[in-house]
Amino acid sequence: MAEEHTHMDDDYIHPFARRFLWLADEKVVKGFFWLPAIGLAVTVALGLYYDFPEKHKALWDFFGSWGLIGFMAYSFVVFSAKPLFAMLARKENYYGEEVVPEDIIEPVVEVHHHD
Amino acid sequence: MIDLLTSNPGFIIILAGFLCVFIPVSEIRKFLVGAAPIAAAFLIYTAFKDPDAAYTTVKAGGQEFIVNRIDRLSMIWGYVFCLAGVLNAIYALHEKCKITDSSALIYMGAAVAGVFVGDFLTLFIFWEMAAISSVMLVWKGGENSFPAGVRYLAIHVLSGVLLLAGAIIYGRSNGMDFAMGEPGQYGFLGLDKPGGLLLFLAMGIKCGFPFLHNWIQDAYPKASITGTVILSAFTTKLALYALARCFAGEDILIYIGAVMTCFPVFFAVIENDLRRVLSYSLNNQLGFMVCGIGLADMSGKFGELAMNGVAAHLAADVIFKGLLFMSMGAVMLRTGTAKASDLGGLFRSMPYTTIFCLIGAGSIAAFPLLSAFVTKSMILTAALDTALYTEGYSLWVVYAMLLFASAGVMEHSGIKVPFFTFFAHDSGKRVKEAPWNMLVAMGLASVLCFFFAFPWGGYQFLYSLLPFESTYEPYTGNHVVTQMQLLFAAMLAFALLKKYGMYPDERRAEILDFDWTYRRFGKGIARWIDAMWGRLSANVGVLRKNVIERSGRRLYQMFSPAGTFSESTPSGIAAILTGGMLVLLFIVIYLS
Repeated sequence: MAEEHTHMDDDYIHPFARRFLWLADEKVVKGFFWLPAIGLAVTVALGLYYDFPEKHKALWDFFGSWGLIGFMAYSFVVFSAKPLFAMLARKENYYGEEVVPEDIIEPVVEVHHHD
Repeated sequence: MIDLLTSNPGFIIILAGFLCVFIPVSEIRKFLVGAAPIAAAFLIYTAFKDPDAAYTTVKAGGQEFIVNRIDRLSMIWGYVFCLAGVLNAIYALHEKCKITDSSALIYMGAAVAGVFVGDFLTLFIFWEMAAISSVMLVWKGGENSFPAGVRYLAIHVLSGVLLLAGAIIYGRSNGMDFAMGEPGQYGFLGLDKPGGLLLFLAMGIKCGFPFLHNWIQDAYPKASITGTVILSAFTTKLALYALARCFAGEDILIYIGAVMTCFPVFFAVIENDLRRVLSYSLNNQLGFMVCGIGLADMSGKFGELAMNGVAAHLAADVIFKGLLFMSMGAVMLRTGTAKASDLGGLFRSMPYTTIFCLIGAGSIAAFPLLSAFVTKSMILTAALDTALYTEGYSLWVVYAMLLFASAGVMEHSGIKVPFFTFFAHDSGKRVKEAPWNMLVAMGLASVLCFFFAFPWGGYQFLYSLLPFESTYEPYTGNHVVTQMQLLFAAMLAFALLKKYGMYPDERRAEILDFDWTYRRFGKGIARWIDAMWGRLSANVGVLRKNVIERSGRRLYQMFSPAGTFSESTPSGIAAILTGGMLVLLFIVIYLS
């Protein structure tokens, strides 16, 4: 297993990726939620202008409802993970079929270790 | 001979596959792997220009087999299979493996041939050929993939046996006519027709119906890297074609499809193996199409829209799901793992693969300007319209399930797969970018994801290939705005749950699914019977000998030249019994 790295002192970063290293900055990660929040606010506001066609409306089609559905559905799925995992998760070799070791999948495995 | 070879576009691919077995030079094999689907696409193009001339039958053993016929449904399926074949060929260019090359071609050829045949008996041949050739791709995943491969083969042979049994019952009730309806006729078979239920089950197994789906999540993640990509394109899609051809408008498919869209979401969220997550995602997308086939009642007002939605979403799904499997394959090739718990931060060393994976994720989540936006919405619109014009609430529940699943797609394929692989915590893995050929294949698939949804000529081109003329307009203000609301809200939920530590960590585990019933419970029962039989044998050896001898005599009376089964009348029953014995044989092999 490769060692942990900080992204700035790494010689093995792909040249094209260097211009995107800001994506891993703590500030960007912590503030990421603003992007979908603003996006959601804008699209909900746009919903005022682009209303549902009268003859083509579901029971739950009202102002901003798809945002609400998306948020609730996503949260429900994620919150269901904990009880489901407790109920369905077993050890990896539960069926007695050997777990695939990581180094036999394909011949070319190039993991550079940083000294 | 040449006429027969070119009569069905799939035959040329199968021939190329058999040739590959004998060609030692990798470069020549690779040329064949890429050229054969292009040649097949050309044959489809020429055949569709004159469908009457393309109608080919072959007589053998007193039975007429329709080896080729073409209509708009088989045409789009054929083109999509050929396109996937070319992308897969590029993706696998680096792999010098005779078995992969030949089995991939035979498998792809069988799938292409399967969508152009016109009767159940010929379909059965390619149905089984696809199963037998594809298991090689599973077994190329290493020695640990062997048990999964055996299960895969057993389940697919069972599907084939059911198909044959259903076909024979159907044919006998139909004056020995095994034809799959007329060209352009969809949904000619119902569950109430003789053999209908068996055919439905056969297709349901291959299509991954709930409780029959486990072979997908069992075998696909254990196949070789290129094998998984190839497998994701054909088997389930061939079954979808058969369903669309035979059972379009069958109500039960609406509900089966709706369940298929939802249940994989819950398994995907707790699954750690990202190739298995994508296998659940495959199930989920199949659900939309199965639901669409159920809605495609040709006598109804919205049947054509639903069938168009199914065909369009098939084209989009084969490409974006292939792209997602390709990106995970590239990651696995370089890091040796596809476990979310071991990955993270790979955008630093595999930036192009990251971009391609994000395009695939955006496509499956149906972002505007990406493929599923213009395809899945056709099925959703058909569901809404049908619900609006139908009494009762059941279709509203279906529509709500489809909406829920659309948000669920965002969770497993839209966010989880790219986030835990390329972002999240830095795993410290510094690896090479994917090989050039993989990048080219992923790049082309990404271009197609955009092209299929491109508002100025892109989706119009896709729609022009659909079974019916389409007047559907995907880029309405309301559709763009509501879809973006759904996706932004899902992203916001993810960001907030992650920010406040409520998003579960990825942990290594075996997640139990319905296959527990036969991998654990069934195996336990088989062992118990075996132990009991062993004990019994010791005590009643003479009795066992007598029973076996009597059975042997009885079987001889039935199957000998003068026996009951040599009479002409019950030959169909004999075939069914043979099918049944095949099933029994496979169960015995599997359990042993």
